[in-house]
Amino acid sequence: MPERKRPISIHRRLLRYMLAPLLLLLVAGVAVDHSMIVSPIHSAFDRALSRAALAIVARIHRGPDGQLAMSSPEHPPPAPRPFANAEPLPPPPKSMHGEGPSPTLRGMGGDVFFYRVSLPDGRSLAGTPELPLAPPDDKAADGFSFADITFQGEVMRLASYRTVEDGEAVIVTVAETPARRDRAVHRMDVSFGLNDTVQMAAVLIIALIGIRISLRPLQRLSRQIANRPAQALTPLSTDEVPSEVRPVVESLNTLLGTVRNSVLSQQHFMANAAHQLRTPLTGLKAQLEVLGRETAGSPLEERIALLHGGVDRLAHTANQLLTLARAEPSAHRASHYTSIELPHLIGEVIESSLDRALAHGIDLGADCQHVQVTGVYWLLHELLINLIDNAIRHTPAGGHVTVRCGANDGQAFLEVDDSGTGIPAGERARVRERFYRGAGSTDDGCGLGLSIVDEVARVHGAQLSILDGSTGQGTRMRIDFPASS
Amino acid sequence: MRILLVEDDSLVSDAITRGLVTSGYVVDAVADAEAVSGRLADTHYDLAIVDLGLPGEDGLSLVRRLRRSGNPLPLLIVTARDGLDDRINALDLGADDYLVKPFALPELAARCRALIRRATAAAANEIAIGGLRIDLAGRRALNTTGDVLELTRREWSILECLAHHSGKVVSKERLTQAITGWSEDISGNAIEVHVSRLRSKLGNAATVRGIRGLGYRLEDA
Repeated sequence: MPERKRPISIHRRLLRYMLAPLLLLLVAGVAVDHSMIVSPIHSAFDRALSRAALAIVARIHRGPDGQLAMSSPEHPPPAPRPFANAEPLPPPPKSMHGEGPSPTLRGMGGDVFFYRVSLPDGRSLAGTPELPLAPPDDKAADGFSFADITFQGEVMRLASYRTVEDGEAVIVTVAETPARRDRAVHRMDVSFGLNDTVQMAAVLIIALIGIRISLRPLQRLSRQIANRPAQALTPLSTDEVPSEVRPVVESLNTLLGTVRNSVLSQQHFMANAAHQLRTPLTGLKAQLEVLGRETAGSPLEERIALLHGGVDRLAHTANQLLTLARAEPSAHRASHYTSIELPHLIGEVIESSLDRALAHGIDLGADCQHVQVTGVYWLLHELLINLIDNAIRHTPAGGHVTVRCGANDGQAFLEVDDSGTGIPAGERARVRERFYRGAGSTDDGCGLGLSIVDEVARVHGAQLSILDGSTGQGTRMRIDFPASS
Repeated sequence: MRILLVEDDSLVSDAITRGLVTSGYVVDAVADAEAVSGRLADTHYDLAIVDLGLPGEDGLSLVRRLRRSGNPLPLLIVTARDGLDDRINALDLGADDYLVKPFALPELAARCRALIRRATAAAANEIAIGGLRIDLAGRRALNTTGDVLELTRREWSILECLAHHSGKVVSKERLTQAITGWSEDISGNAIEVHVSRLRSKLGNAATVRGIRGLGYRLEDA
């Protein structure tokens, strides 16, 4: 089975071509944002670490033994807080020189904080003696130097402050785990990422709305085309058509114009052909009728009756051919389509066929419900005449033919039901063929009746079904019209 | 009864003339619309049969011209065109009936008879169907022997309505409207009862045929 190709949608294409670059742009934007915020956050945390070092320096003084010492280390120095201006001074720490295990201080929010006060000769005065020093930074004039180290199995940020206290050089080193700065970076990343995503989404929505608005003239155009009757051949309006689409509309109009001209010339031809065929046929028919009357009782009468029969068949065939040719879908202009009350149509056609039915001894009747269809009146008239004509032809005297109309689920239907000989199931498909005549047909039909019915149904988007008669014998010809046509 | 035939095709013209003459009419045939005025000026006609496709001035224009000049002559159009537009056009312009070629002579004769009868009946305020004569002014119906039929008010209304549309099917609804006043309500069954009584009273003068699902038609017996 051939795969059905999905039609190209401008909307989808624009979206597809925009989506990938926009996503790339989003990723790049987040990366740029990340690189831009990392260094300010790091320097803020480094400054906080420096302040912690300064706070420790403030507690160094010369002890009674003439040695530099730290006052009361009972409370460790505060964990550094970045972005905090007024840092409350912690209570004075007790001397902790040589006491207990090296203190591991809990910083804020899960950070581990170490400090060490040492002399240039490597002696530690306080804190964690194992803590390494950051190599001196010659470029920094303020005496601070920073380093990233791994200490006791943890990645740490280290700050060493080289200063002179009471005439003696001391080095204050502080270290903290980077959990908080990582969290800060992460928080910033998340908020920038969210921000970028929201912006992209907004751009996308705006683009979608823009696309929709700019495609509106196209939709208007397709609505304009869709709302026209299928047979309308008038040019499409080029007002409000965007310049990109105008060539398409203009080509369409040229095409419509060509079709219109050929339809008009065909209609003109058909009208002429009808006149040229019908007038001499009328003359022949009438002459033979008069002749038949005049020769009544003579040996010529029978031959004239034969001639008359031949001319009648010829006239019938000519009529049916003209009807079939005029039923071609291209022959109908939108103005030919009107709203038709099926019961009214049925009444009119039955009235015109009534005498024929009565002459054949057939009870012709109707069973109508109020229903409307949109169609070409004379075509539906021809359709029904042909259906009733067929039914009368194939129903023996004493039978009945009933014309029904109504609606099923909003779909109008028209039915001609007879109690006649019926059509064998095997023949049902073939009877629609032009000039096909059933095996048993002996009458004057030309085999075009059901072709006309089929063609007219097709012009109206309706469906002809050949079913069994409702009484179990005969035929039921049913026309189902499209929903709310 | 005199008929003016306007038809350019001699085969058709000759056959129609012969056919109608056999039916008892006097027929004058002309081949174009220009000859019509002269004929109408010095002869009285009961009906004109006009072909639409005439050389020179066409049939539609002739119909228009006659009606504009106020001529009430009944007009029967015959044409090879079967488009609905043409038919509506002709009837709108004032033609009385329309027959599409090719037709059978008896059909033409029947249409002529109906048109002439309608015109004379309108003048006499009387409608004749078969052996039945309906005197509209006197509100009475006479059968073949000239006896006045004894009809109830409702039966008369039904007959009058059917006679006005003689040869046509009249729906039950229309008959109901014809026999009921504003306030009265009447069922379809009641119509059937009235019609069957009317039918027996008409006897062999005319008959009312019931058409299943559609209504009734007044016919020659």
